[in-house]
Amino acid sequence: MIRAENIVLVRQSVTNGEASILSGISFTARPGQVTAIVGPSGSGKSSLIRLVNRMDDPTSGSIFLHDTPISAIDPLELRRRVAMVLQKTFMFEGSVLANLQRPFVYRQTPPPAADDDHLLTLLDLVHLPGGLLPRDARSLSIGEQQRVNLARALITVPEALLLDEPTSALDRPTADRLGTMLREICQSQQLTVIMVTHDLRLAERSADYLLYLERGRILEEGPVEKLLNNPQTEALQRFLTPDEEASS
Amino acid sequence: MNDMKLVNLELSNLVIAYALILVAFGLARLLRIGQERQILVASLRMVLQLIAVGYLLHLVFAVKNPLLVLLMLLIMAGFSLQVMGSRIQRKMPDFYRIMGSSLLIGCGGVTFFFCLLVVGYTPWYDPRYLIPLAGMIIGNSMNGASLAAERLSSELRERREEIETALCLGATSRQASETAVRTAFRAALIPTINTMAATGIVSLPGMMTGQILSGTEPILAVRYQIAIICAITAAVAITSFLILLQGSRRYFTPAHQLKGRDE
Repeated sequence: MIRAENIVLVRQSVTNGEASILSGISFTARPGQVTAIVGPSGSGKSSLIRLVNRMDDPTSGSIFLHDTPISAIDPLELRRRVAMVLQKTFMFEGSVLANLQRPFVYRQTPPPAADDDHLLTLLDLVHLPGGLLPRDARSLSIGEQQRVNLARALITVPEALLLDEPTSALDRPTADRLGTMLREICQSQQLTVIMVTHDLRLAERSADYLLYLERGRILEEGPVEKLLNNPQTEALQRFLTPDEEASS
Repeated sequence: MNDMKLVNLELSNLVIAYALILVAFGLARLLRIGQERQILVASLRMVLQLIAVGYLLHLVFAVKNPLLVLLMLLIMAGFSLQVMGSRIQRKMPDFYRIMGSSLLIGCGGVTFFFCLLVVGYTPWYDPRYLIPLAGMIIGNSMNGASLAAERLSSELRERREEIETALCLGATSRQASETAVRTAFRAALIPTINTMAATGIVSLPGMMTGQILSGTEPILAVRYQIAIICAITAAVAITSFLILLQGSRRYFTPAHQLKGRDE
């Protein structure tokens, strides 16, 4: 379980001075559930999710993993327990297997071999054929790279998974498949999943709980279906409308 | 050793030499490159700076005071820092401290090793040896150091995705920046390696040429040149290494976070 309490993020920049990115953010993300953070671009979604595995630190407020404040956990240990998939998929030079072994190389522990049971189960989970393992990771399609990316994040058996716009580079059918797959993985592994997305269809397909973020504040939150079908705030109604028009 | 007397260059000879600059000026004017004024200003600066340094060296050589020699070396290092500062657009955090300390340890260490153990003249501060040798070591290290600092900053910027991916997978900041540091170190060393490989074929090095002009046996001049190239290579490597070691840390927080997102 991940719980955020009254998160404030103020960014200092040389050109613009102080800018408030997030204010008064509190939420709880539960195991076995996908929590989606949606909102227009520039609303602070990505800045928020980066705080959860300490890629950045908040100006004030606390985030807890179970009941321990993450600031009290060694960042390297935290990132093993709370995996994160960044928006742009980066494949390291070398084979798919070498990419999956990376996290073990960093921790200086023996990496799994190509016939390792856990590794094969994981490939199965992300719908990647084992035959891809010796292939050059950078020669794969974007959809395949995204799945390697997901497997690479999950290979060290984290308790939570953070995803920043996981479908931004994918076409509709691939994005849909990823959404279904995320849901399966989340439930079968009892993972706490937090996902940032502007893709409402993905949120609808895979998420249980929704946080609507605008200008650094949570304006509305609740179960996905309830929020999408019956938005209470004008802001969320406005956010939902263009997408409905486009899909109808 | 020195039977031949070096031909004296009179002021009138210099005026004739300066005519060569006017040729360059004339050509620049012909093609209207818009740099004519700069050529004159730069050539004037060159003349004034060299005259000033000539008198300064004359003074330092005459006084032969160790403190004065060391002060002269510090001033040279200070100027090289200033040149690096003006050359590099995106400076790493703590730029002057890192560059200054690396230059001091890298060049200082190699210079004294070289002067005391390789050349082995006495007294150790004899400005006739120490100043030109240190000057060559500092000048070359300055180029390597600039390349190292500049490349490190650009690599860390361009490899942001790679570095953050590695951090997300549990890498330490050192592991995550390894490729960037390696590339920057390579960039710093390449010019020195290339110069080393081309020396004697493509160009005759300045120190050797100068010694031969002043009557030194070519074989002895070559020995000096070999020794100084070894010293320069070591100084460039040590200085760049120290810059990268200290500099790469400054781009991360103690919690292994890459600084400077959105800047």
